[in-house]
Amino acid sequence: MAEYNVRFASHPEPIGVPAGTLLVDAAREASIEVQQPCGGQGRCGRCAVQVDSGAVRRRSVLRLSPADVEAGFALACQTVVEGDVSITVPPPEVIERRLVTDHIAPEAALPDGYDAAESQSIRRVELQLTPPSMDDQTDDWGRLCTALRQATGIEHMETSLEQIRGLGPILRNSDWHVALTFDRGRNGSPRLIRVQPAAEALEAPLCGLAIDVGTTTVSVWLVDLLTGNVTRQASQYNQQIARGEDVISRIIYASKGDGGSELRDLVVGTINEMVDTMCARAKIEPADIVKATVSGNSTMMHLLLGIPPESIRLEPFITPINHLPRVPASEVGIAMNRDGVVDPLPGVASYVGADITAGVFASGLRESPDTTLFIDVGTNGEIVFGSSEWMVTCACSAGPAFEGAGVIHGMRANTGAIEEVWIDGSTHEPSLRVIGNAAPRGICGSGLIALIAEMFLTGVLDKAGNINQTLETPRVRRGLHGAEYVVAWAEEAEGNEDIVITRVDIDNLLRAKAAIYAGFKVLADRVGVPLEMAEHVLIGGSFGKYINVEKAIDIGLLPDMAWDRFEFLGNTSVKGAYLALIDQAVRDEIASIASDMTYIELSADNSFYEAFTSALFLPHTDLSLFPSVEAAMT
Amino acid sequence: MALSGIQIYKMLPQTNCKECGFPTCLAFSMKLAAKQVELDDCPYVTEESKEQLAESSAPPIRLVTLAGPDRETAAGNEVVLFRHEKKFFNRPGVFVRVVDTEDTAAITEKVAAASAYTVDYVGIDLNLDGIAVEGASGDPAAFAAAVGAAREATGLPFMLVSDDPAVMEAGWKAVEGEKPLLMGANSSNWEAMVDLAKQAEAPLGVVGETLEELAELTQKIQEAGVEDMVLQPAPTAMGASLAMQTQIRRLALKNFRPLGYPTVAFASDSGDPAKEATLAAHAICKYAGFVVVDSFAPEFVYPILVLRENIYTDPQKPIQVLPAVYEINDPKPSDPVLVTTNFSITYFSVANEVEGSGLPAWLVVTDAEGMSVLTAWAAGKFDAEVIAKAVKEFGVGDKVEKKVIVLPGHTAVLSGELEEELPGWDVKVGPREAVDLPGYLKTVLA
Amino acid sequence: MSIEIPVDKWPGTVNTVTLGATEADGGTRAKVVTIGGEQSLPFMHFETEMPHSPVIALEMTPSRTDDWSQILLDAWGDVVEDPARWAAAIEAAGADVIVVTFGLTDPAGDPITPDYAVSTVKAVLEASGLPLVVLGPGQADVDNELIVPVADSTKGERLVLGLCEDGNYRTIVASAMANDHLVVGRTPMDVNLAKQLNILMTDMGLPLDRIVMDPTTGGLGYGIEYGYSVMERLRLAALQGDAMTQLPMLVTPGYEAWRTKEAKVGEGVPETWGDWADRGVHWETLTAVSLVEAGADVVVLRHPESLKRVREAIDELMTAAPA
Repeated sequence: MAEYNVRFASHPEPIGVPAGTLLVDAAREASIEVQQPCGGQGRCGRCAVQVDSGAVRRRSVLRLSPADVEAGFALACQTVVEGDVSITVPPPEVIERRLVTDHIAPEAALPDGYDAAESQSIRRVELQLTPPSMDDQTDDWGRLCTALRQATGIEHMETSLEQIRGLGPILRNSDWHVALTFDRGRNGSPRLIRVQPAAEALEAPLCGLAIDVGTTTVSVWLVDLLTGNVTRQASQYNQQIARGEDVISRIIYASKGDGGSELRDLVVGTINEMVDTMCARAKIEPADIVKATVSGNSTMMHLLLGIPPESIRLEPFITPINHLPRVPASEVGIAMNRDGVVDPLPGVASYVGADITAGVFASGLRESPDTTLFIDVGTNGEIVFGSSEWMVTCACSAGPAFEGAGVIHGMRANTGAIEEVWIDGSTHEPSLRVIGNAAPRGICGSGLIALIAEMFLTGVLDKAGNINQTLETPRVRRGLHGAEYVVAWAEEAEGNEDIVITRVDIDNLLRAKAAIYAGFKVLADRVGVPLEMAEHVLIGGSFGKYINVEKAIDIGLLPDMAWDRFEFLGNTSVKGAYLALIDQAVRDEIASIASDMTYIELSADNSFYEAFTSALFLPHTDLSLFPSVEAAMT
Repeated sequence: MALSGIQIYKMLPQTNCKECGFPTCLAFSMKLAAKQVELDDCPYVTEESKEQLAESSAPPIRLVTLAGPDRETAAGNEVVLFRHEKKFFNRPGVFVRVVDTEDTAAITEKVAAASAYTVDYVGIDLNLDGIAVEGASGDPAAFAAAVGAAREATGLPFMLVSDDPAVMEAGWKAVEGEKPLLMGANSSNWEAMVDLAKQAEAPLGVVGETLEELAELTQKIQEAGVEDMVLQPAPTAMGASLAMQTQIRRLALKNFRPLGYPTVAFASDSGDPAKEATLAAHAICKYAGFVVVDSFAPEFVYPILVLRENIYTDPQKPIQVLPAVYEINDPKPSDPVLVTTNFSITYFSVANEVEGSGLPAWLVVTDAEGMSVLTAWAAGKFDAEVIAKAVKEFGVGDKVEKKVIVLPGHTAVLSGELEEELPGWDVKVGPREAVDLPGYLKTVLA
Repeated sequence: MSIEIPVDKWPGTVNTVTLGATEADGGTRAKVVTIGGEQSLPFMHFETEMPHSPVIALEMTPSRTDDWSQILLDAWGDVVEDPARWAAAIEAAGADVIVVTFGLTDPAGDPITPDYAVSTVKAVLEASGLPLVVLGPGQADVDNELIVPVADSTKGERLVLGLCEDGNYRTIVASAMANDHLVVGRTPMDVNLAKQLNILMTDMGLPLDRIVMDPTTGGLGYGIEYGYSVMERLRLAALQGDAMTQLPMLVTPGYEAWRTKEAKVGEGVPETWGDWADRGVHWETLTAVSLVEAGADVVVLRHPESLKRVREAIDELMTAAPA
């Protein structure tokens, strides 16, 4: 048999090997380390090397783009030598970067050409009032209104009693030179928020809040309204969790006794804790915060505002109100200027709330004529399918599995969470990537997705999610909940027990992913537009800041499409709230999104259930829907 | 060609005016695509769109109604070949046959019994729908007497069976003013039968050996002024009738108007109740609009009526099991009571796990409209009150001594209220997942 | 007038499966039964010839018969006490296939042993020349414990072994593969679940022509419509070319019908239910005939009279035009 020379860039001598030798074996001869998390099965793409010259045959180019192959990349475990060749083994981080399936959410940025004064509903104007005299007996309020009319053309303004009470002294102490902060309002008359001495106001901050009230997590952004920039961000568990983990439990809790006001206090408390800390750090007063936009699911919005949510959960699932009016901050209880404005964003239906309308805006779906799929993954998975012309939406109960809850060793995406897993196809030994490079404490959503995908592709799981107990590895064993797989032994983990995934966990995760995929399918079927028509798939929500699209496809959570169609957006709900805060036109657009979106109730017939059981399989009962996974399995 | 929701949407005003009762034009379009609303509900649709949309909405099979003094029965308006595609709409009327050669006392007795028959099936009263009077004597007077005798015993709609126009005339005159089915016109008598049907303003049954014969007849009859018809494919052997019934349904659904009528199947001609029952079952499954049987005995009629009820239930509803207390592994009064909902998959997963454990238990299945435990709980259809009601209704307390009741783990929150609703019971919270039930039964409850 | 009859031309064909093996093929059966092969919906003879008629199996149990209706026990008489005689009686009654279903206990009430299962199956094989379906009690551990030795000791007979279910199929499939047997997979009345189990079993390397599927049915009045529609949908999918649904279907109307109150109970029931014995047979017959219309290839019955009636219906359905 012919023998060829393989020359590695980092190795002085060429290695002589027979024709047909795998590059990875040649590398081993040269004592060159090529990483192979998948055990040389051509699945993970991490053994990619660059063929600088010479003849090779690539058995598989899975994970490599045509451009990669063009550039000479080849999978060392799938490529054989057919001539004298020169090889460069790139550093691991170069390969990681080339494998474009990992998506990191971008940070928030101001829109191009943004003009704060033009766009916002909040205005602060400086007014020099003519002092009163014996001849000019106009009252203080009338005097203020006249000055305002002269400066801005605004004829009427509403205010609170408290403002009137404070007005006289301020006017007199400031020498009738004041700054007036007001909200321009939507289709109504403006509302006065604050009167300050002009001298003081020139230095004073003018701030707003964008708030996303999630069932599990509440996020608050502090915004400098003078520039429109985000100055601080904070997230915290919703303190309501202690009264029930999901919206249904909260609704039931709210319906009993003082439950409603208790829940209201808890969520207001959660928000105010963050606001107080932010004020202290930013050196501002709560009174400097004059406006807050709030988004969240319909139940959270109702609970925050103290509106009984009971009818949300009962057939025919009707919310008391979808398009909420603006309300004075004093009525809501948020730690801000008492006369500030709280603007709750509009929702669509009981299970598609303001978090989705705000999210749709933030995602840009509404702007584009392209058919787009938008999904917000939380305890409920809400899905929007459409374009600038039409939009349909539905909500499917995925459960909290992807947030790390309901899974024995699940956790949130914090330090110590396993966020990426590879399993060796022959030994069934895992390699882990842990957030913060710490000892593993548990597994977060993206880690769970990777784990299921790897277990499936390496035969630890069958397509129904059964753990194959005939495998000869100590990692598979029988535990309290039936069969389980050990992801990390107690010795390597923080804490003193093995980190495992059980049959029950797997069932939970399969149900969660099946519910979401079934939601896609039913929406597409109902509107009569095939899912493949989606040119973009936008993902928002609670996957933390990271998701591996490829593995999400492997388990059948996301539809099998080219990876470049997917975009990961992070928390689109708070982003939408932020954009609505700083731009009046955005706020109007979100209202029209809420009106135009067609809500589909999945429980109306059997089609969701059909799609669900069909998706309750790895990757799906109809494998032809997942050609890339089919290819990876062979 | 059926249009998709988006295709219809493009023909609508797209103003989201909400006057149709739906929040958006797209929501209305999707309902229209599913044939659940009428286009007329949109006040602003253009004439042009109306024309384009009208074609997909005409019913392919004519609705034919028969009426007696007390009751009506209708067949037709079907839109699918297979019930799962949408549903079968009009339950085939089951008619019991009497013959005018029997003496009138026998006729009266049989008709009275059939007419009075009612049986409760899961809270639904099942009844027979009509009486077929057959003119076998060839004598108009005898036929009229038989029809009259039958009418004295019932208020159900009639099917008058004779191919002799003179006999038929005497028959319908005995029940003038009603809407019986005049069964049958054929290629030799159809003109006279058409005259009778027009006078009687009654639907006409049309008999034919072949599809061609039936189609030619219905066209002629329709041109002569009768709109309501019922087709009787002459072959009765199961293989041949299945083929012909299937072909009629397929052609009708392709909008072939000459065969767009409901059909009738005569199981009554087999002369053997055993055979008759299988023929009736066959006719119910495969497309008959009316079924005629000769036998009348409760043990014969009851299963036929149940089969009809089953085949004609709405398949778009979730698959449910009957709410009841199920005995698993032969439970004794000392064994525990488990509770779950009547969604079939929920029931199966719980029942299979318990069955597989070999441990005996009583399984109370509540009526949650086919929802799983969590969904039903979320929607307020699986709460302490519902569970307590089921326990009382099924008499579970009389079956057990120990009175231990186990809630699904996901609904642990209900335990306090259930204790209040069921005084004297020991309420326990089971595991969240069915797979953990055997372990729970073995350890916690043992 | 000439009418063009709409004819469906389907791309898919149901697998042909042969139950049992004669001596020439490595077994001992006097007769084998071949099912499947349909290229059209049931009995659409004007489209394609239906190559194999649906067949009828009668079920027996070598365990206690406590849960069998008295009507059934009366119909069979004392043969129920002896599996071999019961099997012979089933063959004499005209069944095509015998189904032997083990319960958890033997007739004496003791837990069933693998030895008892093996000797019973051997006795039945000797007493009758018909192909056999052998089913465990439906508990994963016990099923595996009983079916494996039965499979080992009857190598080459092409028995149909069960029950394979989604959580418990590996052991039975492996022993069927090793011993030239067939398997039956049961799933609870759901098109997707049926298809999924077929995928799991073939993933192990078992050829499709050695699997029959039991999509489960409800009895008349107890969910038959779900079973009926699931079967129609599976058959439509098969004809449309979905390989994982192209398996012949076996269903158990006998078991389902005779566990309904209507068939099982004679006393304390409404008068409007009529005569008990006749009602029971009607209940089983109507359940079976409806399922045959929906595409069943094997119906498993319990009462010999039902067999006669269902046989007559199938024979008629297999006849395209009156003779």
